[in-house]
Amino acid sequence: MTEPVIDIQGVWKSYRFFQLRDVALRLEPGQILGFVGPNGAGKTTTIRILMGMIRHDRGTVRVLGCSMPSEQAVAKRDIGFVSEDMRLQSSATLGWHMRFIASIYAGWDASYADVLLRRFNLHAEQTIKGLSHGERVKATLLLVLARRPRLLLLDEPTTGLDPVARHEILAELMDVVRDERRAIVFSSHNTQDVEQISDHITFIDRGRIIDSSDKETFLDRWRRIHLDVPSGAVLPPLAGVTDTSASGRVAIVTTKAYVPGLETTYTRSGITVRDVQPMTLEEIFVANVLSNRGEQP
Amino acid sequence: MSRSVVRQLILKDLYLTRWMVVSAIAAGVGALAVMPMSVVSGYVATVSLICTLVILNIFLVMSGVSQERKDKVQLFFVSLPVSTAQYTMAKMIANAIAFVVPWAVLTVATLAVIDVTAIPNGIMPFWTVVLVYLLTYYFVLLSVALVTDSSGWHGTSIAAGNISVNFLIPFLLSLRSVAEHRTGPTAVWTPDILAIIAIEIGVAIAAVSAAVYVRSRTSDFV
Repeated sequence: MTEPVIDIQGVWKSYRFFQLRDVALRLEPGQILGFVGPNGAGKTTTIRILMGMIRHDRGTVRVLGCSMPSEQAVAKRDIGFVSEDMRLQSSATLGWHMRFIASIYAGWDASYADVLLRRFNLHAEQTIKGLSHGERVKATLLLVLARRPRLLLLDEPTTGLDPVARHEILAELMDVVRDERRAIVFSSHNTQDVEQISDHITFIDRGRIIDSSDKETFLDRWRRIHLDVPSGAVLPPLAGVTDTSASGRVAIVTTKAYVPGLETTYTRSGITVRDVQPMTLEEIFVANVLSNRGEQP
Repeated sequence: MSRSVVRQLILKDLYLTRWMVVSAIAAGVGALAVMPMSVVSGYVATVSLICTLVILNIFLVMSGVSQERKDKVQLFFVSLPVSTAQYTMAKMIANAIAFVVPWAVLTVATLAVIDVTAIPNGIMPFWTVVLVYLLTYYFVLLSVALVTDSSGWHGTSIAAGNISVNFLIPFLLSLRSVAEHRTGPTAVWTPDILAIIAIEIGVAIAAVSAAVYVRSRTSDFV
């Protein structure tokens, strides 16, 4: 059995106004994990714990077989980290950064770096301070991808980018994920981006992992069911219903446990099923977060 | 690999600060060149030399440490295969080299100028205490910048360092051992002068040790 790329169990981290609570994550080689949560949910804290930059209070964190943060120097040889708020040396050129990274990583792929330069329309002679935000993100991604790390930790890399830059970056990442040995954690609050490249999704909210599954399971399980409820009929109590809203005879049930044939449970109760709508990942995310917040004490 | 990354981080900082270091040496040498010309030029040179080292101090610490952290460039360098302790060590070593080299060049040059010109050699202990004080000031400011992001602390340290020089000079000149020998033909290293130099070096070592200790115990590096 192959060792997981990321294996974190029971991780806690407390700040004055925020607490990461009992976080567990597991990522296998070749997996692309979309790490989705609202702002301030704990995505960045979790990723920085994975990088060894923040020391957790409790729990175990193993990345690429290394215990973090004590073995971070070894683990980071094979981790590529890009964060939305990460900046490069503004007075230096991109070429200087490329030479700097090449002097550190023996696996630096100069020809791939050239390909990325052209693909991202960047120039090695450009100083970083002359780059736009989108170009800076692309430059950072170039510096990370051209050394071909086994694990990519991408903390909201597409935040603040225009649609074209986002498309270019996601397209490049799609290319990267064809290499089945690589694993990626892609954190974002933009579910469209996550849906595009991830095969596994984990939702985090208020410092807790609230749901985690492969993308297809999420999309298959979650449904919004439109019902016609005649007077006197009562909605049957079904497991997995996260929200019910009613107006007159019309009721809308949101469920996270849809299975084909669920409709018959309603029809047996005298309720007419008008429509069963699949949900987008964004709708699933919002419904999931709100439902979990409602269940929390 | 980590050792070579530390080396690269040190070289990176030295590369990025090279013009500051070269400019400081040039400005210091320029000041020393006019020092022996007259009493007035000697005064101008003294002020210029002290200002050069103070400015280099502040520029190195603010651009190399504080700004790197504030601009989130630190995040990029800490993502490289080094531990946070190794990163701190690299930062400390690079900044030490970037200041100590021009400081040493200008200290030796100052003493040489005094020795070979008509300036009385008796002033050498005074100058040594002042220059070692500037070295201590640098390491204290560097340590503060490594330990805290607070602009308030940085500003307070800079203000305290700059103002204290104004007290140090009259204090030294009022010392009997300095007053008696500063116009004499030979440098007299009295016990109180040596004690002051020892205290200065001790404070610098204590500041650096405290910074490394505090940083190594910090749970959140970024």
